[in-house]
Amino acid sequence: MRCEVQTGGTIELYFYGELPLAERAAVQSHLAGCAECRQALEDLSVIRAALARRPDVATPPGGDWSGFMRRLDATIAAEPRRDGPADAARQRTFIAPARPRLAPYLAIAATLAVITFGVLAVLRRPPDVKTTVRNVSETAPTAAAAPGPSVQPAVLTTSPDPGLIAVSGRHFERSKLVVLGLTTKTGRQDDWAYERELATDLLSDTRLYRLAAEERGMRSLADTMGDLELVLLQASMSDQPTEASLQQLQRLIRRRDLLAKMDAY
Amino acid sequence: MADSDLITRAAAGDPAAFQALVERHRSMVYRVAYQFAGNHFDAEDIAQEVFIKVYRSLDKFRQDAQLSSWMYRIVMNACIDHRRRMLPSGSAPFGEEAEHKMMNTAEERPGPEDHAYAGELGEVLEAEIRRLPPGQRIVFVMRHHQGLKLGEIAEALGLAEGTVKRQLHAAVHRLRDALNTANVTAGERA
Repeated sequence: MRCEVQTGGTIELYFYGELPLAERAAVQSHLAGCAECRQALEDLSVIRAALARRPDVATPPGGDWSGFMRRLDATIAAEPRRDGPADAARQRTFIAPARPRLAPYLAIAATLAVITFGVLAVLRRPPDVKTTVRNVSETAPTAAAAPGPSVQPAVLTTSPDPGLIAVSGRHFERSKLVVLGLTTKTGRQDDWAYERELATDLLSDTRLYRLAAEERGMRSLADTMGDLELVLLQASMSDQPTEASLQQLQRLIRRRDLLAKMDAY
Repeated sequence: MADSDLITRAAAGDPAAFQALVERHRSMVYRVAYQFAGNHFDAEDIAQEVFIKVYRSLDKFRQDAQLSSWMYRIVMNACIDHRRRMLPSGSAPFGEEAEHKMMNTAEERPGPEDHAYAGELGEVLEAEIRRLPPGQRIVFVMRHHQGLKLGEIAEALGLAEGTVKRQLHAAVHRLRDALNTANVTAGERA
């Protein structure tokens, strides 16, 4: 028979310091004679300690809010106008409020510049992965995302975003568990269940990093993320994994030279 | 400037005030959203939804209310809305009974036994938290991660304190089961 202090949830209230003083004292004396409740408390402590060691994620990848703010700004701009007295004189968007109507044109111009420059860069370079990763012109986040009184063109610099490269490197390390796992499997059914499961977990972050890289014009990183996304997607979609589907994935990994590309980070 | 002043100014159409409000609270919102969703992609969607709802509701905020409670309620609703959108098309819940079922149905994701050998205990628990039914998950996140008292959670979510207590108990029960299933209980790890 289970202890009522535990089944009624009192032990959690004790653990979280939610009990009035008198009840707290009663639970304390109860604990001396109840191994079940002591075990429950110990489990709760283990849960708290283990979760406390997990990374505290309170920002988008790399701590970069610019994409988030830009997206929010665009949505708010499409909202019906507020009827406040200050409205007539103010813009609704809170990012780059000085010349908002120019922003779309600047963004188009910037995108065209990135595409042109990217094409030129590819035409002028041999397809060496490491060289490409470090040297292809990559752009900083759009200046329009930064709060401030004036609009700046979206693409002005050619330096890559070191924060995104760092988180991408760590993401590739995690993803190698899947890619390496897939390349070494022989195709027995269920043999790659772990890889498929991990692929599902990694897929949405991969997509997010690809979008972030595309947004910054970091083309080689975006391409590698895109290749990885394709592999993860196919792996996670394999509801009935067969030897043929595994071999198809292995061919895809080889054809895209995915491991070498990931190693470049 | 106080939050209530920012809200008043934002409601009157001042974009700088709304921006300041977003910048002040975005980390809290993102943290809860990430703990709920478990990945950046969904966390960003949820956080976006929260601030759009805040923007649309600026006029409705009562100056005598706690901003944090108001915000938490919006976060919780956004989390649940997000979960609802994730359901396969055609299975969206209609009516109170279906809604209750959705809130109390565990996610179909890999269980703790599948994650245990992947290593860290924290990962096992995080995976299990993501499998909790949304109602239990949001209460656990607010109590355990955000450190809110049960009374505060009840007020923020508009629930009876007894309901919050039951949801927390159920969440903790499942997490303890996950520990046992994964054979990584306190005794074995000591």
